[in-house]
Amino acid sequence: MITRIFAIARNTLTELTRQKVFYVLLIFALVLIGSSVFMARFTFQQEFQILKDISLGAMSIFSSLLAIVAAARLIPQDIDERTVYAILAKPVPRFEYLLGKLLGVLLLLLISLVVMSALFVAVFYAREQIVLGETMRQMSRAPREQVDDALNAVRASGLKIDIFAGIAVIFLKACLLAALTLFVSTFATTQIFTVMMMMFIYFIGHLQATAREYWLEQQSAGWIAKTFLAIVALIFPDLQAFNLVDEIVAGLAIPLALFAKTAVLGIFYTMIYTLAATFVFYGKEL
Amino acid sequence: MIESAVAVEKLTKVFPIPFSRQSIVAVRDLNLRVEAGEVYGLLGPNGSGKTTTLKIILGLASPTRGQTKIFGRDSALVASRESVGFLPENPYFYKFLTGEETLQFFGKLCRLTGARLKERVGQLLELVGLTNARHQSLRTYSKGMLQRIGLAQALINEPKLVVLDEPTAGVDPAGSRDIRNIIVDLKSRGVSVLLSSHLLSQVQEVCDRVGILAKGTLVREGRLAELIAVENQNELVLENASESLLKEIEKLAASSNAKLIERRRSTTTLERLFLEATEERSEK
Repeated sequence: MITRIFAIARNTLTELTRQKVFYVLLIFALVLIGSSVFMARFTFQQEFQILKDISLGAMSIFSSLLAIVAAARLIPQDIDERTVYAILAKPVPRFEYLLGKLLGVLLLLLISLVVMSALFVAVFYAREQIVLGETMRQMSRAPREQVDDALNAVRASGLKIDIFAGIAVIFLKACLLAALTLFVSTFATTQIFTVMMMMFIYFIGHLQATAREYWLEQQSAGWIAKTFLAIVALIFPDLQAFNLVDEIVAGLAIPLALFAKTAVLGIFYTMIYTLAATFVFYGKEL
Repeated sequence: MIESAVAVEKLTKVFPIPFSRQSIVAVRDLNLRVEAGEVYGLLGPNGSGKTTTLKIILGLASPTRGQTKIFGRDSALVASRESVGFLPENPYFYKFLTGEETLQFFGKLCRLTGARLKERVGQLLELVGLTNARHQSLRTYSKGMLQRIGLAQALINEPKLVVLDEPTAGVDPAGSRDIRNIIVDLKSRGVSVLLSSHLLSQVQEVCDRVGILAKGTLVREGRLAELIAVENQNELVLENASESLLKEIEKLAASSNAKLIERRRSTTTLERLFLEATEERSEK
């Protein structure tokens, strides 16, 4: 079972890699380096905040886009080109086929995010060192305590471990989007439909929590309204819950409970969508 | 008792037309058996239900009514495909893979690994004549080469049953002869083959039994030799017969109750002529 799933996952990763999807990473690098050059005119606190904001925002958008675009084409293409017949005519359960495909996309997302994080950390570290160097040069005649205070202030605005918790949450959001896209693609008739549908879900997903709170505040909700809202929440995942960028940019520590809750939510959504995709795919006439 | 390689019982497949009360009956009350070790040809015009039948046998589509089994196991079970190889019609594999990588991928799906997988991939590339193209990506393969790599992936797990959907469609006569030779070789090794085709002369050369489908119904079935024999006619092929001998035979026939229907010079087939001409040319 593991051999088969891994073979399909590896093949999917090869497919996506050879289609040069990693060019997205090049765009990310350009955005990152371009913005760091542009920001040299701000104070270091502003610069670090904007750098974190832009980088994490770009990571979130690029990984979400990659998840949707990569997952949308996998199954329809295999069906169109009849490759799926040759695969499923072997002793491969449909669940393993789907899981292999999903795992391939998740591996792609993981690699992309690791590369983006490495680029981000490298650029950030370089800027931090430059700012520390400049601070020491400017304060070369100041008393030692003042220099230490200034350097500590720079370090306080610098990189903290929380940033990796934020990146992990971005990864989980991309995972759930990939699983949801795979689910939509099992019943969609065209790839364009899948991508359009996912764009729609993406925006609703970011807005629904605010809309829900507003609605519940406006009127007292009965059980019908609550059930309706629960169904909406399941179909349109609360993507705003996966946005921890604001806390990180502000330099706040992410509470462990919040991180754990978000991670569990991401894993739960990914599993639900994978099961739903399997359910639809089992009933599909190929 | 030896289990049939394929058993189809009262199979019916109906495709509903969306937003309509009408439906299309692709296969109607089909019964057929492919015995172990035989080559069975499923014939029929386009749209007669051949591919639908094959898909149901392989568990790719579900029957509306009836049942299909492979070596006694229900087609709905994944385990029924343990020793099956399938070549889809006009296969189009992952074009980003090379020929060798394609076979490795399908081998891993059949739980082949390590040295055994490597050995099997080498054997099959040799068998289908693609050893020199093993490192080429499938994007550069011709239609005939794709068909051959498709056949190789179908044989990767040394199946006991091979299902071929239009195996020679779109392939040139030389490629088509190679595929036929592989089918004959499979038969000699006791492998059962179920193939669908509308290229009748090719089916005639390799099949033990055939079934003819028309509009989803099996209209004829039986041993090929019996089906196509003309009951009250015989052929006599002579070599180096003189004109006087032929005249005498004609006279003898006329004096009895037999009637000479046709006398003609033996001819080769256009296919054989094509192969001889093209192979001579490539040898020069």
